[in-house]
Amino acid sequence: MKRTFDTGNAAITEGALWAGCRLFAGYPITPATEIAENMSRRLPQEGGFYLQAEDENAALHICNGGSLGGLKAMTATSGPGFILFADPFGWAVSSEIPVVIVNSQRVGPVSGITGAPGQGEFYLSRYLTHGGNYETIVLAPNSVQDAFRLTVRAFYLAERFRTPVIVLADQMVTDGWETLQTPESEAEAREMGLERVERRVNPGPVFYPASSDIDIPPVVLGHNTGAAASDWTPTDRGHDTEDVTWQHKHAWRLIHKILDHRDLIDEAQTWSVDDDPEVILVAYGTPSRVVQSAVEAGRAQGLKVGGIRPVSLWPFQDALFSRKAIYLTVELNWDGQLVREVRRAAAAGSEVHFWGRCGELPSVAELLDTVRQLQAGVALTRDAWRTEKW
Amino acid sequence: MSDDLLEKYVRPEKNPGTACKGCGLRLAHRRVLEAIDQLGLGQGDVVWGTGIGCSGRQTFVTWKGDTFAGTHGRVYALATGVRLALPPEKRLILTVGDGDAFTIGLHHLLHAARRNVDMTVVVFDNLGYQSTGGQYGVTTPVGSRTDSSPYGAWEPNWTEGGHDVLRLVREAGATFVARHTVLQGEAAVTSLKRAIENRGFSLVQLVYPCVTHFGVQALGTRDLGRIYDWFRDQTAEGVAAGGDKRFATGVVHDGVGKRPEFTEALRGFVARVQNGEVQHG
Ligand code: SF4
Repeated sequence: MKRTFDTGNAAITEGALWAGCRLFAGYPITPATEIAENMSRRLPQEGGFYLQAEDENAALHICNGGSLGGLKAMTATSGPGFILFADPFGWAVSSEIPVVIVNSQRVGPVSGITGAPGQGEFYLSRYLTHGGNYETIVLAPNSVQDAFRLTVRAFYLAERFRTPVIVLADQMVTDGWETLQTPESEAEAREMGLERVERRVNPGPVFYPASSDIDIPPVVLGHNTGAAASDWTPTDRGHDTEDVTWQHKHAWRLIHKILDHRDLIDEAQTWSVDDDPEVILVAYGTPSRVVQSAVEAGRAQGLKVGGIRPVSLWPFQDALFSRKAIYLTVELNWDGQLVREVRRAAAAGSEVHFWGRCGELPSVAELLDTVRQLQAGVALTRDAWRTEKW
Repeated sequence: MSDDLLEKYVRPEKNPGTACKGCGLRLAHRRVLEAIDQLGLGQGDVVWGTGIGCSGRQTFVTWKGDTFAGTHGRVYALATGVRLALPPEKRLILTVGDGDAFTIGLHHLLHAARRNVDMTVVVFDNLGYQSTGGQYGVTTPVGSRTDSSPYGAWEPNWTEGGHDVLRLVREAGATFVARHTVLQGEAAVTSLKRAIENRGFSLVQLVYPCVTHFGVQALGTRDLGRIYDWFRDQTAEGVAAGGDKRFATGVVHDGVGKRPEFTEALRGFVARVQNGEVQHG
């Protein structure tokens, strides 16, 4: 095992390389630029291709094209670039092309604050393109080591589900320095629970079967299989059609290949949730680190508090919220995004509240004060996702 | 094109295809197949991509071999990635429209030309946005009536008034650039062959008549004979020509072999890094 002290950006780079990524196309953007920089140095050493695209839209299109030609590919960005993925993300979803997308979230809206962490793309990562009729896989790391592991996982899921997978990080995860362990052998990789699948080629002539199965090889060009990949509604052979029956089959496959195999995707961390918590703190990404500390500190002080960290964000894990409790989501935004989903999923009779801020994390003390208020039935100044007056 | 050629290259379910009766796109498509045939290329030698609009949609998945279609204007970026992954000897041909190449996709097109990525972009130019019912575009002759220029198109376009979008493509770094009308069969096929053989970025603009919209709206007829007469009348031989003619035709630039091809250069660079011949800072 190799132990280094490094950033989340480096962890994502090494995770991608271990997973077999051989193409990175990106456009410089704070705070994801270091991923591109690391890739520009590391990829050629591994025989891979680094490209600086003319914009993020082109970057993901280039990755899509490389993947369509058989290369594992990745791009990385932050909010203003992420929104430009709408077009190629939809293309990859619909054409069922594996590709990995990293978003290091910063503070928005739009260009916002470049060098501070935000969590404004929770819903955008679910609905990154138009038209509906699809499901999305989104994974959210909360540490440097986790960024490595989940990048590897993203490539693994992308290949098996033949779809784009988003790693939804934040500026603190990607810029933060921590210990990073990487495997130096396949045995070590297995020990660490890392898995990868090699790219396979769909032999045709059925490229888009009416099936929710995973592990169907994706369409790959260049093998004279009669491959057809496009943004049009495909027949099973990939021919364009205006027929709603084919469209229904297509949408059903896009949705159910993911929903029917959630066991491979769903992942969460919980703290003291089986120990009769009254208040459960909920967070993903970096804020979940504070939540963990708050639960531990709160329990030490005798507070009945628990914590939930969804690691896979989409498809949303409703089952995590089946216990009747007082939930408090902790988010790096002022408008409350995760809270809306928890409100929808929480067991009947639950209360769901929101604690949010941009650019910096809450302190453990702040969270525990809020827990005490909620336990005492004191109304929070903030009602759900409505933020308090400035 | 004989039926043999159609049988050889075109998927049976896409023959005769979905273009309107009398559409010049069929002839344009035929020119590309003729060039492929004359070069002795088979189904497995070519990967075929398309854009959006009549020109892209009607030629999508017609090729019996491997095919793909990009989102509107982005197929040049998509094809850049495809090119990186494909073996260099595979020919990569894109058939796209004037809107796809010169409007929504111009940015990506110019960057593919800048890099000299090995692909042949065939712009099937139907002089405007025809699949949406006939609106003016950047190659619509100034003065033309269309559904969105009921008083006659007055915006400067990319091909008249001293502008030529193909000069822009050449300046960006393309290594073969030409313009023909579909009626100039021999010259068009000669250029297409040169373009396909070029191990670099080639663009051939092939102007063809849309009978349903451009013919009816701008020329007042869908009679193919009369439309072709207008085309002949508006065609000037020689790219510097033009004058009062709409279509200055010929080879705009032949720089085949004069610039390194991008993916080959990138492979060479990667090999040098792996061999330790270049070090990072
Ligand atoms: S609308 Fe015009 S360009 Fe399109 S297929 Fe019909 S005739 Fe051809």
